[in-house]
Amino acid sequence: MSAALLVFGYTLAVAWSVPLLLSRLTRHGISAGLGLGAWLTAMATVLASAGAAVALLADAAIAGWPRLAEAVCRSVAGRACTPVVYRSAAFEVPLGAAAAVATLTAVVLALRYGRTLQKAGRRTRAHAEAARITGRRLVVTGDGEAGGATVVLDAPQPAAYCVPGRPAAIVLTSGALAVLDRAQLGAVLAHERAHLAGRHHLLISLSRGLAASFPGVPVFTQGPAEVARLAELCADDAAARRSGRSALVAALLAMGTGAAVPDPALAVTSGAVTARVHRLLDPPRRGHHVRYALALAAVMLLLASLSGTVIAFAAALG
Amino acid sequence: MRGFGDLESVIMHMVWDHGCSVTVRELFDELRHERPIAYTTVMSTMDNLYRKGWLAREKDGKAYRYTATASREEYSARLMREALDGGGDTEAVLSHFVAQMGGAESELLRTVVGRLNRRRSR
Repeated sequence: MSAALLVFGYTLAVAWSVPLLLSRLTRHGISAGLGLGAWLTAMATVLASAGAAVALLADAAIAGWPRLAEAVCRSVAGRACTPVVYRSAAFEVPLGAAAAVATLTAVVLALRYGRTLQKAGRRTRAHAEAARITGRRLVVTGDGEAGGATVVLDAPQPAAYCVPGRPAAIVLTSGALAVLDRAQLGAVLAHERAHLAGRHHLLISLSRGLAASFPGVPVFTQGPAEVARLAELCADDAAARRSGRSALVAALLAMGTGAAVPDPALAVTSGAVTARVHRLLDPPRRGHHVRYALALAAVMLLLASLSGTVIAFAAALG
Repeated sequence: MRGFGDLESVIMHMVWDHGCSVTVRELFDELRHERPIAYTTVMSTMDNLYRKGWLAREKDGKAYRYTATASREEYSARLMREALDGGGDTEAVLSHFVAQMGGAESELLRTVVGRLNRRRSR
């Protein structure tokens, strides 16, 4: 029992404290890739240690139940309480019922989540197919087309997005093409290709599933937004490496406002898009980068080794 | 030159460009000038598009005459609606280049762009 409590306490401590630490470490989006890894590690280790705690608790309950059942049985029925009575009535029936209810709940939750994912997957595939048929194929020299074709839809509003699937598609509107120059278009395509290559949609839907299954647990409720934000920054970094920072910033401004933009060199203030612009215009110094990278790597390593140690120790104890 | 894209896409665009109903033979005669293709390939692709709901058809003598069930603009608008204000399910699976912005933020960005453009033209 104490082993289960130890792991349970550790799980709660990590689930509540690590989000505070990580949101500080990833706030500025320095080393976004490692930040994304750290959030995923935190969620995975909390899930693993919670599972271990439940397993240990079930183990302890099963081991301790006969004595408890016997005591209750004797105080109620006195001498009439034989092993046959308390085993069948007080032991097997409620325990069996509890196990059945728990299993059923888990199955129902898993099925419901699976169905949500399946529905989203079907809608995505249908969207990708409709976009491929309706759109006009765009071939850009220098764009590798790795992982999916680029199609253009006739629509006045500037928009660009990628649809995962086999094959995946990158969708641009004619309104987007109208406001982007060649270099900026390259930056947009590189950004979307980074999303597809990094399987960011999977990370986001997985973390959303966890948030839906464990309401009120900070590491899971904050996970999806943080994963989405950091995935965006990772894609920005990939696009900046490929097409240059100024082309990417110009593309962000052009797509955000629907007006063509020359190379920008000006900072702006709050908001998700403005934060991305800010980060690209005012990149962290090299020393800063190294420090954040080391801190995030240390958090990941610590979480993984600590969870492993706690679980192994508790298993040996129980 | 239409490029070697999806045959389904190529055929839908041809049907849309035609405006009126077409037969498999008419599209095949057009396509044959652009690429080596078999009549049966065009026929089965159009049959697929009919099954998926993109094309409607009615019998005209021995052949079918096909029409698009919705215009290219209607499909584009439908996709945009799904992509931009789909929320929920679709939000999880589409990664936008720029998130939908509030009025204040886009106003702010517009000001910056205006300043940049003025500075450039000076």
